[in-house]
Amino acid sequence: MIEVNNLSFARGNILIYKDINFKIFPGELLLVRGANGVGKTTLLSNIINFTDPLEGNITYHGTSIDNHIASECFLYIGENNFAYDTLTLNQNIDYWLSVHNVNFDKSVKNKSVKFLFEELNLDKKFYQLSFGQKKKLQLLLLMLVNKPVWILDDPFSGLDMKSILKVNHLFEKKLENKGIIIVTSHQNIIFQNYKTLELI
Amino acid sequence: MIKNFFKLISNEFKLMLRESVFSVVLICLLIIACSIFSLSLRNESIGMNVPLSFLYIMIFFISLFKVEKTYCLDFDEAKLQQYILSPFSLEIIVFVKNMMIYLNLIIFFLIFSPLILIILNIDMSYLIQINTLLSLSLLSIIFIASMTASITISKNNRLSLTSILTLPLFVPILIFSMAITDLMDFNTNKMYLFFVAYFLLNLAFSPLLTSFALKKLSV
Repeated sequence: MIEVNNLSFARGNILIYKDINFKIFPGELLLVRGANGVGKTTLLSNIINFTDPLEGNITYHGTSIDNHIASECFLYIGENNFAYDTLTLNQNIDYWLSVHNVNFDKSVKNKSVKFLFEELNLDKKFYQLSFGQKKKLQLLLLMLVNKPVWILDDPFSGLDMKSILKVNHLFEKKLENKGIIIVTSHQNIIFQNYKTLELI
Repeated sequence: MIKNFFKLISNEFKLMLRESVFSVVLICLLIIACSIFSLSLRNESIGMNVPLSFLYIMIFFISLFKVEKTYCLDFDEAKLQQYILSPFSLEIIVFVKNMMIYLNLIIFFLIFSPLILIILNIDMSYLIQINTLLSLSLLSIIFIASMTASITISKNNRLSLTSILTLPLFVPILIFSMAITDLMDFNTNKMYLFFVAYFLLNLAFSPLLTSFALKKLSV
């Protein structure tokens, strides 16, 4: 369970948000909504311990989230792409899986790639991919890196409807397996078993 | 974990090879700078110390450029977030990246060093000693430059200026390198130990400080 108590955050002298409280239990999804600039991404980076809050605390199964817990239990997919332009799609996958210490079976990797990308030349350089395909490479980590909590910042931007449904299917599977998902999105997508946090 | 660590090293090596075009450009810059230096002083008798000092200063700048560029590309916010969430600590990733930058630069330098010595009119009998000296000192230079780069690439522009504080750390390397070249035969092995000791000191602090700066200033 992730529990957030009286969380406030300020950047310089500007208060971004104040007194945020929520609890998310295993098997639940939290959808964070709000206009641009209200602090959705900042809230995610607070939860994952990238930035320190001004006040309040965040716990995961009763323990305060530190770097060790974040790296063991949290998978974060941000807005910006993390892949290397000079590497091919295949090399990028291998590289980021080794960074996340994942030993994978080649057939599992190929199956996952096929599920998200369908027919795609894996020897294509990353910069040759479209925006949506680049986004899919990030989301591929959801299938290959096994961590109990997914923190996703606008994962559907740039995806076509078919891909959105596929990612939604991954969400359902994750929730069935008692995972926790925190997601920000501007799109009107219907999830199963979800709570909403509206930031003002 | 160990298996994946070696896989990470091999992947970093491949990545380094792909980004070596910039190293070649920098080495070409070094060769051009050495040529201009030699041409401008062609009528002077300057011995070995002045060209070596010039070579050192150029190597120092080249290392700074290379480390800065690599850090800008490899530690942008999105990549850094993934590195922080990796089971490998950021210090280890910083160490591996620094070693790859070192390998990348030193391989090209060793290949072109005979040409550089000829251009600078330095006796070729000193080739091995000069290469050993530069190989040892370049390790420390890269690790110190990584601290400088981690502060310079931070989001906070005002803090970027504090990277100047790391520059005095380069001074002992330059002083001791020049001290070694004063002893013309280079046969004082104990002097080389300084570079090993200074590298070990940097190895202890640099990855820690670099990753701390990256975590606090760039995410």
